[in-house]
Amino acid sequence: MPIIQTEDLTYLYGVGTPFEKTALNHINLSIEEGEFVGVIGHTGSGKSTLLQHFNGLIKPSAGRVLIDGKDIWEKGANRQALRFSVGLVFQYPEYQIFEETVYKDVAFGPRNMGLSEKEVDIRVREAATFSGVEDSWLEKSPFALSGGQKRRVAIAGVLAMRPKVLILDEPAAGLDPRGRDAILDRICDYQRTQGTTVLLVSHSMEDIARIATRVLVMDKGSTAFYGDVSTVFSHAKELLSMGLDVPQITRVFMRLHEMGLPVQPSIYTVEQGKNEILRVLKERET
Amino acid sequence: MTRDITIGQFLPGDSIIHRLDPRIKTLLALFYMVTLFVAQSAVGLAISALFILFVAVLAHIPFRMLLSGIRPLIIIIIIAGVFNMFYIPGHALWHFGILTITREGIGTAAFMGIRVIFLILGASMLTYTTSPILLTDGLDSMLSPLAKLHFPVHELSMMMTIALRFIPTLTEETQKIMQAQKARGADFESGNILRRAKALLPILIPLFVSAFRRADELALAMDCRCYRGGEGRTKLHILRLQKRDGLAVCTSSLLFVIVLTLNFVLPHAY
Repeated sequence: MPIIQTEDLTYLYGVGTPFEKTALNHINLSIEEGEFVGVIGHTGSGKSTLLQHFNGLIKPSAGRVLIDGKDIWEKGANRQALRFSVGLVFQYPEYQIFEETVYKDVAFGPRNMGLSEKEVDIRVREAATFSGVEDSWLEKSPFALSGGQKRRVAIAGVLAMRPKVLILDEPAAGLDPRGRDAILDRICDYQRTQGTTVLLVSHSMEDIARIATRVLVMDKGSTAFYGDVSTVFSHAKELLSMGLDVPQITRVFMRLHEMGLPVQPSIYTVEQGKNEILRVLKERET
Repeated sequence: MTRDITIGQFLPGDSIIHRLDPRIKTLLALFYMVTLFVAQSAVGLAISALFILFVAVLAHIPFRMLLSGIRPLIIIIIIAGVFNMFYIPGHALWHFGILTITREGIGTAAFMGIRVIFLILGASMLTYTTSPILLTDGLDSMLSPLAKLHFPVHELSMMMTIALRFIPTLTEETQKIMQAQKARGADFESGNILRRAKALLPILIPLFVSAFRRADELALAMDCRCYRGGEGRTKLHILRLQKRDGLAVCTSSLLFVIVLTLNFVLPHAY
């Protein structure tokens, strides 16, 4: 059974005003447990709106959202409990920090869950370790930290709820390359060790190619593609026409393929590219 | 929640009403309110009401927007109406203990109610069809004689422009923060007043932090573009009166004259 499923999910903005707009148009999607889904799409393609449907922050105008097979807008469904099992990290999450100390801010989620202080403490320390929040920061004011450090605190605040599904909206936006890699690596580690289902929005095709197992492409409120990384990046032409991109290495191999070299065009990491070149060279020798 | 507030909202468009000079429009909105209060006869009030509906049609304002502008105030109108019904002396229709409803009371209540509704519509017609920037531009220009008395006209209008400019930004920000805290299980809807007030802290603190940050950044950006207050500052769009502004003034005056004449010709509604 898929962990996230949507049936004809449709969402309209500003119904009844001149600003009415279809943000999501009949989305049918099913995401299996344990997947690492990279979500890409042009600004305004409906990515963020779609993600906010998965933990019940937005009510669909039509259609259904099923988490673990249960319709989340069914009568009597507990959406607060749902938000603990589908953790959502918003864009620039550091702007939602409000407590006096880092520890208290990370503990906000677990405390809302009604856990005992002992359990909260375990969760906070565990989440801090996972997202790279150092012990020495815990008693500091979060407003004294740097931007990248605050970002980690905010991510820890969601991880501390131990969600079954973790959704991150551009977690690396606005960070320097090192901070970016650090955050993405930590999310990867977390996904691998915990078996969590992760949905991650990113504008960097390289990052998606490196860490995701599947790719979801949104375009004008519809799902354009959903599939394996290599399958999706083999639709380079369509992606480019949507104002998106493919990884640089994919473009190199597509061009080599066009030039008549016997390489596969659907290469999306440098590592794969190296192996492919070695394979072709070896074939030539024999 | 915040999306339902429609008073003061601007609906972009290119109708003749939209293109009227903001100064003229502001003055005519006030003039229309005066007209409403001058109207004493039922016919006069009906003509005034039709007038603003006609303006709404000209400005392409959907009927539903007009209704949604009144909705938040309907309770106040009803309460005022009930008081009018009981307190106006006259021909009694119904007794209950010390309470008496008179025919005059019902008449006044209805008349007042309609008057207040169209008062709101008149005011919202101004904000529906004038962008906040133009509105403050108009105020700036109308208040400019006061600058001779060392009244900080430019500073005041700049403050208003900035404040208006940031209403949608902060509304959006509030919504975003609310969603983010809800995603961490915050609950704004249950518990007693004290708990609910406390539940607002996770919204208010980030909102204040970000408002201060934005103010800081804006000040810096204005500094970078050499903003030095109003002295010697010129305008990109200079407000100039057009023929249509004259037409609007004439139409409004005509309405006023008709309403005033009807007061003498027809019996008063109450």
